[in-house]
Amino acid sequence: MISVRDLRKHYQVHKRPPGLKAALRSVIHRTYTSVKAVDGISFEIKPGERVGFLGPNGAGKTTTLKVLSGLLHPSSGEVRVDGHVPRHREDAFLKKIMLVMGQKQQLLWDLPPAETFELNRAIYDVPRAQYKQTLDELVTLLELEELIGKPARQLSLGERMKCELAAALIHRPKVLFLDEPTIGLDVSMQATMRTFIKSYNERNGATLILTSHYMDDVAALCPRVIVIDKGLLSYDGGLDALVQRVRPEKRVVLRLNQAVAADSLAPLGKVVTHDNVTAVLQVPQDAVNATVSRALSSLPVQDLTVENAPLEEVMSELFAESKARREKVGA
Amino acid sequence: MLRRYLRLLGVQLRASSLLAMQYRGDFVIEGIISLFWTATALAPLFVVYRERESIAGWSFGEALLVIGWFTLLQGILEGAINPSLTGVVEHIRKGTLDFVLLKPADAQFLVSTARFLPWRSINVLAGLGLFVYGFHLIGRAPSLVGVLASLVLLGTSVLLLYSLWILTVAAAFYVVKVDNLTYFFTSIFDAARWPASVFRGVLAFVFTFVIPLAVMTTFPAEAMLGRLPWTSLVWAVVGSLLFAFLSRRVWLHSIGHYTSASS
Repeated sequence: MISVRDLRKHYQVHKRPPGLKAALRSVIHRTYTSVKAVDGISFEIKPGERVGFLGPNGAGKTTTLKVLSGLLHPSSGEVRVDGHVPRHREDAFLKKIMLVMGQKQQLLWDLPPAETFELNRAIYDVPRAQYKQTLDELVTLLELEELIGKPARQLSLGERMKCELAAALIHRPKVLFLDEPTIGLDVSMQATMRTFIKSYNERNGATLILTSHYMDDVAALCPRVIVIDKGLLSYDGGLDALVQRVRPEKRVVLRLNQAVAADSLAPLGKVVTHDNVTAVLQVPQDAVNATVSRALSSLPVQDLTVENAPLEEVMSELFAESKARREKVGA
Repeated sequence: MLRRYLRLLGVQLRASSLLAMQYRGDFVIEGIISLFWTATALAPLFVVYRERESIAGWSFGEALLVIGWFTLLQGILEGAINPSLTGVVEHIRKGTLDFVLLKPADAQFLVSTARFLPWRSINVLAGLGLFVYGFHLIGRAPSLVGVLASLVLLGTSVLLLYSLWILTVAAAFYVVKVDNLTYFFTSIFDAARWPASVFRGVLAFVFTFVIPLAVMTTFPAEAMLGRLPWTSLVWAVVGSLLFAFLSRRVWLHSIGHYTSASS
């Protein structure tokens, strides 16, 4: 469905040192530096797959999405989306895709979302009957009944995002590009969006690529993740396998009947946090069984769980790791 | 194809009228403002014609026709062209032009029809009023041929105005702060209230060939008076088509620049 081969996107950026003198000089003579937003990444995505793009700010995630949706021309490399070359922006291609950006909105600000839907219906040439069916479905699933008649500017951020999503789905796209669709939303609204996106994917067999800073989004939606860092692909595979690789240790969370001294925890494993009656230990995977049985026998344990490290932590460790590797190579 | 775009235009017009009706208080305010501007447009004319009978061969009544065309075009500019195209500048600044480019329809068409301010059509009525008053002063009615020719020129003038605006907006792809440029454009357009023969030398050349103000207001006024040579009419049609073609090329080039450069 989506095939990306050795994609590169370099920008020419005008750079100057701070200060008035440098500013004056830059008026006459400009020095440009090339920024490598995406620097040679390749991947294939099958129809119906849900893939998460992960990476720190400025990693090249949004640039890649924009190249895939035809908004940016790649500097080099080959990109295909359902047989189309995105940068040609053929109508047939544009009718198959959608892009939702959590930070930008397409809803007509002063008019009710229903008007934006109607406008998109006309632009995408959606037959009336199909439009009505799609809209009814979206209204029910996203609970838009009350919202689509109010001017967009009167909606809350979460309500507006739901309408944004609906506006982008009026033409029933086969490929969904979601750039931080849940940014700034509260937990329950995030969950609503996730559930909806997943069900759209399952019912329509749509392919989706998601970028998000909320690891919960990625964990809930994407069985496969692609990690992009400084324009390079640093991981492509299952989310679980990624966690295993970066942080093979498990976490043993203990809830105790009474406070214990730190000394009595130390022999069990690395203490991550410890306050009075709860303690979190980090232990190698193969030592989990031993640790659990020792904890149960030596401590007043009320409750015990074994967990993976939080995804946020795994990711920041992954990024720190690759940064260190780059610096080593640079040196 | 054409039918599809006409339908799209219909939908866009609908959204604009909905918006206009939502803020119907604007109707009164816009009306007062546009009457005020028509009055200020007339003021210098009264001052000048108090001193002398005619300027550069134009009597007071005839000069009113030029102002009439100026007012009418201003109504079209501010009601149908300006709002959409200043919207483009906003789109570029906020990055929401992405959404326009993602749509399976011509981007120039979509941005050009995005917003209309129907209340500004009051200016068009004011322009028509000035025609009536001007011919009343001249003491005769325009000929049918004259009116038809001036209608053709209305088309060429609107096309010219629109193309000039597209060229201005295209600059926004390169220099993001284009507000100054739009002010510059509006203040130059202001010169179109004078009959073209008022301007001499370099200005006459600039206002005919570079920024064809003369073609926009003076030509139709002359056509109404029945004294525009046929060659000028043909020239205006050809010239405006060329301008439209040029602006289309520049627009396409700018879009290409946007999509290959921005992040």
